[in-house]
Amino acid sequence: MIQTNKKRLYEQFDWFILLLLLLLCGIGILTIYSATRPAIESVHPNFYIKQAVWVGCGLIALIFVVFIDYSFLRTIAYPSYIIGLAILLFVLVAGQGKMGARRWLNLGFISFQPTEFFRLIFIVALAKYLSSFKGLMTMRNFAFAVFAFAIPPFILIMKQPDLGSGLILIILFVMIVLARGIEKKFLIQMVITCIIVVPIFGSIVFGHLKEYQRNRIIAFIDSEADPQGIGYQIEQSRITIGSGMVTGKGYLKGTQGPLRFLPEKHTDFIFSVFAEEWGFLGVTVVFMLYFLLFMRGIDTSLKAKDDFGKMIAIGLTFMLFIYFTINTGMVLGIMPVVGVPLPFISYGGTTLIANFMTIGLLINIRMRRLGLLY
Amino acid sequence: MRNRVVMLNIVIFLGFGIVFFRLVDIMIFKHELYSARVRMQTTAKEEIQVRRGIIFDRNGNRLAGNMEYNSIYCNKKMLNRDSNYIRVVSKIIDLKYVKLASMLEHKSNYILIKRNVPDQVLERLRNLNTTAFEAHPDAKRYYAGGDFASHIIGFVDIDNNGREGLEAVYNKFLMNTGGTINVNRDARGNRFYDESRQERIGNDLVLTIDQTLQYIVETEMDKTMDKWKAKAATVIMIEPHTGEILALANRPSFNPNFAGDYNPESRNNRSITNIYEPGSTFKIVTATGVLEENLLRKNELFDVSAGYIMVGGKKIKDDHKHDKLTFPEIIEKSSNVGTIMLAERLGKQRVYNYIKKFGFGQKTGIDLSGESKGLLTALEHWSGVSIGSMPIGQEVGVTPLQMAVAYSIIANGGYKIIPHIVKTVISPEGKSYEINRNTLGEQIVSTNTVNTLTDALIMVTSVDGTAKDAAVQGNEVAGKTGTAEIFDKQLGKYSANDYVSSFVGFVPAKNPAFVLIVVIWKPRGTHYGGVVAAPAFREIAEKSLTYLNIPRENVERKNITMVSKVD
Repeated sequence: MIQTNKKRLYEQFDWFILLLLLLLCGIGILTIYSATRPAIESVHPNFYIKQAVWVGCGLIALIFVVFIDYSFLRTIAYPSYIIGLAILLFVLVAGQGKMGARRWLNLGFISFQPTEFFRLIFIVALAKYLSSFKGLMTMRNFAFAVFAFAIPPFILIMKQPDLGSGLILIILFVMIVLARGIEKKFLIQMVITCIIVVPIFGSIVFGHLKEYQRNRIIAFIDSEADPQGIGYQIEQSRITIGSGMVTGKGYLKGTQGPLRFLPEKHTDFIFSVFAEEWGFLGVTVVFMLYFLLFMRGIDTSLKAKDDFGKMIAIGLTFMLFIYFTINTGMVLGIMPVVGVPLPFISYGGTTLIANFMTIGLLINIRMRRLGLLY
Repeated sequence: MRNRVVMLNIVIFLGFGIVFFRLVDIMIFKHELYSARVRMQTTAKEEIQVRRGIIFDRNGNRLAGNMEYNSIYCNKKMLNRDSNYIRVVSKIIDLKYVKLASMLEHKSNYILIKRNVPDQVLERLRNLNTTAFEAHPDAKRYYAGGDFASHIIGFVDIDNNGREGLEAVYNKFLMNTGGTINVNRDARGNRFYDESRQERIGNDLVLTIDQTLQYIVETEMDKTMDKWKAKAATVIMIEPHTGEILALANRPSFNPNFAGDYNPESRNNRSITNIYEPGSTFKIVTATGVLEENLLRKNELFDVSAGYIMVGGKKIKDDHKHDKLTFPEIIEKSSNVGTIMLAERLGKQRVYNYIKKFGFGQKTGIDLSGESKGLLTALEHWSGVSIGSMPIGQEVGVTPLQMAVAYSIIANGGYKIIPHIVKTVISPEGKSYEINRNTLGEQIVSTNTVNTLTDALIMVTSVDGTAKDAAVQGNEVAGKTGTAEIFDKQLGKYSANDYVSSFVGFVPAKNPAFVLIVVIWKPRGTHYGGVVAAPAFREIAEKSLTYLNIPRENVERKNITMVSKVD
């Protein structure tokens, strides 16, 4: 009986979302190869090979995540969350800086950004809390959620300081909470409060921002103001994308990356490189892949067998969606430059593995939607 | 939950919608703007190095070539900013530390530090194991002959662009498609080249100049300059049937390798720019006119025994008194009075027409820049004296080249020619192109006239002629002397002791190998063309005829005749 169930369980494996994932990763490796191509004959940086290795590692992580019933996460959700917060605190003390921000933790053999993994823990923990009561959220539930799940990590991440991740966390929190459902009366009250509080809060945060973070926001508002500074990045990105036109310049024919006009060409601004070479048509195809992926995530949430699964699936899907929107918005100049990678395509080991685990978790939830046992 | 999921779907659609809208805006509506920006910032205009074509003489001897040398550039990204290190470098390349340091402050990442650096310096620089300072080979124009043929060749400026002479006129050919090209550059100012850019080769020029004839001309010219302490000189040797310039030289001269060190006077190609009053050499115009219009009776004698003639209230004299002269004798003795009599018979209008027919007052069309068209007063502005002055080569200004071309017309049987210096252009692929007309043009003087005139011009170099010193052993010379006062602009009158002495002629007279003109400005001691310029003509002509293997007629018999004439 158990054998049969297990077999039936794996028949439910979500090949579709895995295919989307691998397609996007493949596009990522190809684009990284092109973006890091040197302008003259010299050593080609091996980022594309590293990324391929990370994809391999990610697959292992994904399989690992798929095999553990997500119900098990319910038992370790809170302890993990507390450990996660502790690690974020530890990063502030012992982390390693890159460009003035302490985000990296060095374990001797490997260094990674704990924030990337913390997001998963955060979603699982929040999902556990939100599925622990019936009915719509009351003000009490909400207040607890804010003080337990939103404020502590936000402060720790902002302290690194990582403006992008901090804001994403807050947006994610609001979306998950909204998806969970809030009492109408309270929702209205909250919206009114937000209208009053956010500008005040925002100005306080702005006042506490580091110089470069403030510049980013200023540059976003007026990108012509400093063409060689932050606005320069946005401007170059826009130029790069625009010059791709409808059909693109062709693979390995882009110039903006190799000629070093485009900053962060293989990480945050990889979308621009892709758009330059593949044009509007190529971008449309990639957008289709992302769209299908998010729809699949929402579908998984709908089909999950319990609220815990639903909340996790919604959280994960929206996390990817926020990443996608902020990154593309950033490279297109409609959002500030906050250093957010494009999921699955941007170069970066930690993020890639975290994203593979995200997809693994979605597959896990979908696979077990029928409530089968083993 | 369902409603909320719908709401979440809307959020996703909205997110995609906004991004997609922006994408359409940038990639479809504004793509031209952005593409242009990319093109602008990724390309840089760059002067490309062109190896200028070589200039050869007609026999393939190199007159202008290129010299290889190294320039030192600094790649600032590799630069070690240590001041001691820069001090060491400055010592090696022999540049003041302060100057080098200020050069390195330049915004660009790749800076030219020094041109023309010898190999030993490069070696010492290499021993420093520096990657910041690199050497690149450059090709610089080099004229191995120094001032040899310098007015023909011209010179280039520091950027290897032709400034004067053929270097300027044929710059486009010599540089080929050179000039500027677009190269890729990156955000840090580095430039990227494909292999084809490194260098382009220009077209070679093959000149009509013969190096040996040019050498003969230049050495004889220097001797004459020396002998008469003259101010300036021009010699042109031209092949009368084709218009090919075989040799052309001026004094003073300059060394094109250091053109900047010379004053414009020395660089001036006076053979085409300097206008002088030709004097008697101009008499062929009137003589031709009279013959062409059949205004002479057979064996007609002109009574010039008065020794002067009144024209427009002015007395024009002969240098030597003569009795009665035939037409050929007027030429032979160079009688002013006789020539003016011929001119009066011809009339103002026709004198003017024949002046124009020979090309005076117009550019000859030679392939050199700065050519003057001379001075020719329009007929309606002629004074009463003009009909007397012009036929004897006063009141007109000509260039030495115009005069050489006029005598070429007599020498070649009466046909128009276009003088030129470039024979062929040879492309880098080795194809050659003729770009100048190398044949006779329309006939403008009849054969009979030419023959009669040639016989008269041969008389000039006979023992009784005005230029017996121009006679060449073994070949008949047809030619004419010229001596003219120089109009002193400051004094507003003709100078008492400054003259232009010239001789122009062709040899062998009946089948000329070349037309040669010798013009000497301000000789000291004497000023008669027959004394100053004619011997130079003879020296050049004799050596050139030998070089050209022109068969000599019976020398001994000729001498005998000459002796018998002396009595």
